[in-house]
Amino acid sequence: MSIMLADLETEPVGQQESAAGATWYAFRHNPMGLVALGLMLVLVLVGLAAPLIVHYPSGFTSDVLQSPSSLHWFGTDNLGRDIMAEVVWGTRISMTVGFCASLLAVTFGVLIGMLGAYFPRADTALGMVVDLSLSLPVLPLMILVAALAGPSLGTIILVISFFSWPEVARVVRSQALSVVNLPYMDAARVLGGRHRWILRRHLLPAVAPVITVTVVLTASRAVIAEAGLSFLGMGDPSSWSWGRILYESQQSGSMTSAWWTTLFPSAAILLLVVAATLIAIAYNDARNPRSRED
Amino acid sequence: MSTQRGAMNLMKAQRLIRVCVIGAVGAVLAACAPSAPPTQSNAAGSSPSDTLTVATTTDVVNLNPLLGNSRTDDWVTDLMYPRLLTVSANGSKEPYLATKWGYSADGKTGFFDLRNDFTWSDGQKLTATDVAYTINTIKTQNPKGNVVSGFMSNLGKATAVSPTRVELQLNKPDSIVVPEIGFWMTVVPEHIFSKQAKIDDFANASDWVSAGPYRLSSIAKGQSYTLDRVEPYPMAPNGKPTLAKVVFKVYPDVNTEILALKKGDVDVIANALPPAQVKDLKATSGISVAEVPGLGFTHMTYNMKRKPMDNVLVRQALAHAVDYNSIRAVAVQGQAVTANNSPITDSLKEFADPTLKEYTFDPQKSKALLAQAGVSNLKLTMIYSLQDPVISAWSSMVKDSAAQAGITIDLKGMDRNTYLAKTVAGDYDIYAGSFAIMDEPVSNMALQYLPDGAINYSQVNDPQLTSLIEQAQSTIDKGKQKSLVQQAAGYVNKNMIDNIMYVQNLNVAYSSKWDGFITKPSELLSIIDPASLANIHQK
Repeated sequence: MSIMLADLETEPVGQQESAAGATWYAFRHNPMGLVALGLMLVLVLVGLAAPLIVHYPSGFTSDVLQSPSSLHWFGTDNLGRDIMAEVVWGTRISMTVGFCASLLAVTFGVLIGMLGAYFPRADTALGMVVDLSLSLPVLPLMILVAALAGPSLGTIILVISFFSWPEVARVVRSQALSVVNLPYMDAARVLGGRHRWILRRHLLPAVAPVITVTVVLTASRAVIAEAGLSFLGMGDPSSWSWGRILYESQQSGSMTSAWWTTLFPSAAILLLVVAATLIAIAYNDARNPRSRED
Repeated sequence: MSTQRGAMNLMKAQRLIRVCVIGAVGAVLAACAPSAPPTQSNAAGSSPSDTLTVATTTDVVNLNPLLGNSRTDDWVTDLMYPRLLTVSANGSKEPYLATKWGYSADGKTGFFDLRNDFTWSDGQKLTATDVAYTINTIKTQNPKGNVVSGFMSNLGKATAVSPTRVELQLNKPDSIVVPEIGFWMTVVPEHIFSKQAKIDDFANASDWVSAGPYRLSSIAKGQSYTLDRVEPYPMAPNGKPTLAKVVFKVYPDVNTEILALKKGDVDVIANALPPAQVKDLKATSGISVAEVPGLGFTHMTYNMKRKPMDNVLVRQALAHAVDYNSIRAVAVQGQAVTANNSPITDSLKEFADPTLKEYTFDPQKSKALLAQAGVSNLKLTMIYSLQDPVISAWSSMVKDSAAQAGITIDLKGMDRNTYLAKTVAGDYDIYAGSFAIMDEPVSNMALQYLPDGAINYSQVNDPQLTSLIEQAQSTIDKGKQKSLVQQAAGYVNKNMIDNIMYVQNLNVAYSSKWDGFITKPSELLSIIDPASLANIHQK
């Protein structure tokens, strides 16, 4: 049996490459997707290369609330710090939070979603947990948990992921439900495949496209959630994020008199969210043969 | 075929809608400068010439002035319930309801002589009975959050010996009882409040009776509080307060308040402006900015119950690792003066010791002191309230300057309730905060530095300091008291028991169409003190 399973693990590589290739072909022929991917890559590069672009924004200067100029492209804040430096370094933290929170939420959500779809007996209980979690007032609870746990990067990541996984679980479950009763899944069971093997080798690849889209969207939602929590003062005061820049602007009363303190971090959030959403849409279209033909 | 095309069109439309929604969300974020809430009664920002609209960022918590209050509660109730004394810019007490106050020769009896021309709005005279009732109720019931009870440890009882004189029996001479009760306590009507068996249960939410210039007439919880003129009010011109109505409107934050003031929806912003906004508002046409003298201070305390802050060398090292001048110049925008690391600041001219000096910002000296104390890799957490924008701003400056001395400070900004809970529990290494009014040197030092002091945030228990403060507390001889207070302040400075950083002069903004404001110290009194609002008028 083990030989047979080993044989089963060998997949038709050429066929897989052609599916991926077709998806990539369709994706790169979609200008919207390519532009969004380019934007996302730029943001990732800015985050990774932050130390090469500007110095870490710390300390203070006497150039308080200076409007954008050749010296300070994005202007300065209420302590005279360069807002461009804050936005650049904020990219790193915001994207880290987005990536890590999304990873945690997707990992947990995929696990729960797949288990619910694969084990009908567990589905009711897991479904109830998911429904209950989805019915919770997320923002007040996030604020409460962040306030109780204290502000830190780890707390923010955990809080966001804790409240993000149910949506992932629901999407993955619905996709998995349409797969678990297909003949090739029955065939895997009849061949004596263990549950873990079937889940990993047959069900997970079937829901992978949904996961890819979910990862991107959950990450962008996590960035918004981080910005929201930081804007409410629940972020990590020791590291720069886009939400913290907005928070400091609000705290110093600069929103009405210094537009640059809100415009640039907001634009960064906007870029990330738009890019992530468009990538997800373009990828989904590329995976869909009907829209690919179109 | 047509169905398929329709479906494709629908998909495209959905995609377009999604992109539009994202764009709209982005636009909202990009333009996240908040807008002012709509006006309720005044169209197009105009207001009648005898109505003053005051903006505040904190809602009313309760309207019983004997309970712990938010700042807005104080502003509203101060317009209805008079204090015995008020305070001048240099911290000295001035008459309000009381005309004279003091102690008997043996110091065991305090007294207040009262004006006889105050009347409650329901027609009852305000007499010494109301004052005695208020004092005795606070003493016996210790209402929740009431700060006055903290000054009453040596008070026996208060007695109305005549309609205009109240006498306070003291268990032993205590110089803080009369001035602190006189300033901090608001007098309530006995014939209303005595109907309540337990004062903590009395919300005072309707049928208000006032002896101030205005009386609450309607409330819209979380939105606005309207007060109507009360006549006669003896401290107004011809007994008639100049305004027909005062309306307090609650705004979500200072940004919306500033927008509302610029738009003309409000006439005054009651809370202090963030320092960085003062210059801009001063330059705005139609808006005036009044400077309110500071009578409190901003400080950091080092928890002396925790190691290694119990070591004076470590505390001195921490004090040398703060760039005081830069904090005052940048974070407070030059709107603060040094406190010389003394709890008796120059605002209290009568008691201040001019020989005390501020610790210099000297990271090398700080490192040397730490080495001398045998401490390395010092890592501490600092708590502060996120509701304090100035401290939130300079907290990162403290962290950065401490890093130059090799000290790591982990910033823990937190919401006010968590901050207060941690403060009460003593759960911090460094505490950063500020006091609005420190008007009486002896009582302030007793509260801050006696082992059981209500605001002993240094967690200090030093027999030498305790002895000096207790001696100052038990004498009513001004000269002796001054000497003891100065010794205690010098002890605090030398041993860095409390890092008092600056006295901030606050700024409040108002519409230039108004004139005649009387400025009192601190945000609590400011330009909306009853004496001020009973006399202002439009230009």
